[in-house]
Amino acid sequence: MKKAIHYINQFFGQIGGEDKADFKPEIRKGLVGPALFLNTVLDAEVTHTIICGDNFMTSNKDEAIEIIMSELEKLDFDIFIAGPAFQAGRYGVACGTICQAVQERFNVPVLTSMHEENPGVDMYKKEMIIFQGGRSAAAMRNDLKIVANYANKLLNNEELLDAETEGYFSRGIRHQVWREDGVVAADRVIDMLLKKLAGEEFNTELPIPSMEAVPIAPPIKDLSKANIAFATSGGIVPVENPDRIQSASATRWGRYDISDMDRLEAGVFKTIHAGYDPAAADADPNVCVPLDALRAYEKEGKIGKLHNYFYSTVGTGTTQGEAARMAKEMIEYFVKENVDGVILSST
Amino acid sequence: MNLKIGNFFVKDIVFGEETRFENGLLTINKEEALAVVKEDEHITKADIVIVMPGDSVRLVPVKEAIEPRVRLDGRALFPGVTGELARCGQGTTHALKGCSVLVVGQHWGSFQDGLIDMAGEGAKYTYYSQLKNIVLVADTDELFEQREQQKKNRALRWAGMRLAEYIGKSVKELEPEEVEEFSLPGVLEREKSDLPNVALVLQPQSQMEELGYNDLIYGWDTNRMLPTFMHPNEVLDGAIISGSFMPCSSKWATYDFQNYPMIKRLYQEHNKTLNFVGIIMSNLNVALEQKERAAQMVASMANTLGIDGAIVAEEGYGNPDADFIACIVALEDAGVKTIGLTNECTGRDGASQPLVTLDEKADAIVSCGNVSQLIELPPMDRVIGELEALGRDGLSGGWDDDELLGPSVREDGSIIMENNAMFCGDQVVGWSPKTVKEF
Repeated sequence: MKKAIHYINQFFGQIGGEDKADFKPEIRKGLVGPALFLNTVLDAEVTHTIICGDNFMTSNKDEAIEIIMSELEKLDFDIFIAGPAFQAGRYGVACGTICQAVQERFNVPVLTSMHEENPGVDMYKKEMIIFQGGRSAAAMRNDLKIVANYANKLLNNEELLDAETEGYFSRGIRHQVWREDGVVAADRVIDMLLKKLAGEEFNTELPIPSMEAVPIAPPIKDLSKANIAFATSGGIVPVENPDRIQSASATRWGRYDISDMDRLEAGVFKTIHAGYDPAAADADPNVCVPLDALRAYEKEGKIGKLHNYFYSTVGTGTTQGEAARMAKEMIEYFVKENVDGVILSST
Repeated sequence: MNLKIGNFFVKDIVFGEETRFENGLLTINKEEALAVVKEDEHITKADIVIVMPGDSVRLVPVKEAIEPRVRLDGRALFPGVTGELARCGQGTTHALKGCSVLVVGQHWGSFQDGLIDMAGEGAKYTYYSQLKNIVLVADTDELFEQREQQKKNRALRWAGMRLAEYIGKSVKELEPEEVEEFSLPGVLEREKSDLPNVALVLQPQSQMEELGYNDLIYGWDTNRMLPTFMHPNEVLDGAIISGSFMPCSSKWATYDFQNYPMIKRLYQEHNKTLNFVGIIMSNLNVALEQKERAAQMVASMANTLGIDGAIVAEEGYGNPDADFIACIVALEDAGVKTIGLTNECTGRDGASQPLVTLDEKADAIVSCGNVSQLIELPPMDRVIGELEALGRDGLSGGWDDDELLGPSVREDGSIIMENNAMFCGDQVVGWSPKTVKEF
């Protein structure tokens, strides 16, 4: 039979209330408190219960994690379940903290449950599956059943449904699914349209997330002393494309030395971007990466210096997540090489 | 305008002495059909293969799909493209239903080409696995683009249209089993009712500045047009053909235009729950000013026509999302209650922003799939076309190699690819049984 470990706080671990919130983590063989019920509904044996004071976990996070990790290293387990934490804020954060640590260290599924107003939800919902739980311990059995139902599907390799159906907070992950009822898009459009026209409630299939606006950087005070770099998602690369950057849905990028060039020559550089007509950029790559103009600015003293490399990838079909990762990798070079500002061109 | 489409339901397709249709059996004289294909001297090699749903067959690179049809008045099936200009949307057309002419490259793939599995797990990813397919597999002497990722695929696409027309002629003189009638009186001639006035706004692919890659309307490149008002029958009757640019799961094939399910669905509701006013045909050009101009003109046209509700559908993702959202926002700002019809690009892990631009005014969207979903499929008994094209030729959903996933095409004939290369896989025209959910 597969094995599970259950994490609970000092209160549900029957150590005590607020006065025992500094209780150092302990791992106990067998079942304590809610683990007894969990063990009856789970298709795995709950072999151990971890009990930790909420204050200890939140104020001595590193120490708490280390104590628990060193105990878990000795054990063999297939799934890790924490809580439910209901509306208890510190308990919720503690569940999220330990689940994240276990997930990273042991790469096993971690599950927890909290009420939507628990601050742990916003802190950790993108990192793990947090089920929508009740306000108080009165919901204990119900919440644990929902967690166990999903855990059992995981343990038995059964199909996992979407967040709403399974009852957990969305992690911001969107996948395509085949509708069980087979209703095709044209029918769904008509249904939504008639409801919208009649002023009735309707459910969009693509909820628009609230915008994550990136603040505009403060202006560079003295451009004539600034070290300026150039980056593009327009796919300009040396003709042999040494970094094998993909021409769509890119996951790779490159930086190319331009320190001894006054312009990008056709035949030496080209675009590998598949999302626009390459004719103009191939004939004169400076229309996408304007090295010629930047050198002129450098000579005129408009900018202090042009950074020795330009940075390039392909934007078409490239996901926001990959783009952000590549930018972070580029930023390491910008920081190390004292770049003051970056000009970004698209296509 | 009144359009009658006389339907003939194809139960089986075989090769034989004479191209004819009888009791559900479509017989094709292969030699004669290939002669029609080779009327264009740029076609260097050609073969025709018949594949049925359930056959263990993988088709790649698939470039286009067309429904075989014939116009009873002798007019070209695609005026301005395969013959002289003429009006579309009125009169009688005969159609062979349940089958399509698929155009497959014998060797060379391009960015917009797709894959079809006729059986197994892969069959669920495309509408075309459910059809009996007359597959034209051919090569051309268009050397200028043979090694280019972007191909106009002109000779092959036109050959497919000629072949569809040739096969369609087999039912010209026959009595159809069913007649679909599509009729809307003039906008100002309709009986006054309290039903809301609804328009369908289409944004066909028009992104390439160079001519030859975009969808054509009466032979005219959609990149060079401004939004215009059209009768829905024109779309159903060959006024518009598919281009050769869009990543394939987002593509609307010519077959999709001929059978446009969202149009047929609006016809069903007409005079019952809504007044289907017609189609505002827009586009998806790349420059910001072009996007804004098109969105504003669509909104003005909607107000001029007295539109209460609109559906906006885009043929594409990425850059075209900006046109899609701009058009919805312009319509909402003009007081038109609007529904969006699209697919998404949320990445292989599903965690990326679903559309390139978003706006809270786009509060009613029907979503048909995620272009970047990874799909792994076992080998099929037979490949028609060239399997290597998926990885070698820059199909939008394939790759030659990947650090984590390895090559798209494996030695045993199994494949791993993005949904992007499933032939018309997201079925944004209205067939899609898929949606996108949060996990």
